[in-house]
Amino acid sequence: MVFNEKIVNPTELRHWEGKIELYWVYTSGSAGDEFFKALKKGKFIAAKCKECGKVYFPPRIYCEYDFSETEYVNISGEGTVRAFTVARLDKDEKPLEKPEIYAIIDLDGTDGCIVHLLNAKPEDVYVGMRVKPVLKAKNKREGRITDILYYKPS
Amino acid sequence: MAVGKKDISCPPEAIGTPIKDEDLKKGKVTYYEDYPDLRYAWTAGQAISRFLNELKKGRLIATKCNECGRIMFPPRIFCELCFKPIDDWVYVKDTGVVQTFSISYIDPDARPLPEPIIVAVIAVDGASPKMGIMHVLGEVKPEDVYIGMKVKAVWKDEEEREGAITDIKYWKPVG
Repeated sequence: MVFNEKIVNPTELRHWEGKIELYWVYTSGSAGDEFFKALKKGKFIAAKCKECGKVYFPPRIYCEYDFSETEYVNISGEGTVRAFTVARLDKDEKPLEKPEIYAIIDLDGTDGCIVHLLNAKPEDVYVGMRVKPVLKAKNKREGRITDILYYKPS
Repeated sequence: MAVGKKDISCPPEAIGTPIKDEDLKKGKVTYYEDYPDLRYAWTAGQAISRFLNELKKGRLIATKCNECGRIMFPPRIFCELCFKPIDDWVYVKDTGVVQTFSISYIDPDARPLPEPIIVAVIAVDGASPKMGIMHVLGEVKPEDVYIGMKVKAVWKDEEEREGAITDIKYWKPVG
């Protein structure tokens, strides 16, 4: 009897299913908390270094270049598309009915950017396109990044 | 969860911002939570598949290598010493000897158990020395367990068996 023979009855082969229990909470941190609370009110903030003037978005509590403190500044939330990708599959690789566009958007008045959904036709999007955010209705905001529904061409 | 100010000297921004559970519950701070659905399937392979199917019939099966003469349990399809495919299937007994054991007072999620459980490595009679499986002991108090104790498998009823290692409910002392 040789045991590296071919498997003749695949129904006799077994597999074992399992689930890994995992639950986590990610707190936004000092600057992130400030940002999401402002977002809930419909405002956008960034953090400006008091020393070198670099403007961080998302906001940070201190500058990573000179380690000095930052101060929060209001920004419009509008910006310019730096790069984008068109997704035709969802995260489980199932085809999407309508393709989704994800863009890196350079925000006006900051040195930072945001990655978010862009509501436009794939053929109309281009690098350098001006876009603005569309927020959820005020009573439905939760202080999360999903409070921004999407960006749209302005 | 809360990490307070320690008795150390550091700049104010390095102290951090302590957060309590209630800050999260009351929505004082923003956060994101998730419960990822991490599922997996482990394919048992030829040897363990047969082992599981035999468990359903109330039997323990091992494999044999004719070159070194070892009877390997749990079964495998390849002899790791002789580096060759195994030669035969053999049944082993559902009795054995405790090789080592541990008394556990907590469950897999680290919650306290009402009664401690005793997990043990059991060398099964009929297999070569040092061939054993890990299982749970029953009908015995933690203080009475010892290395070298003879045990016997207590099986589920035939209709309840599903071809899983839990088809053996536990191992109880004999003799």
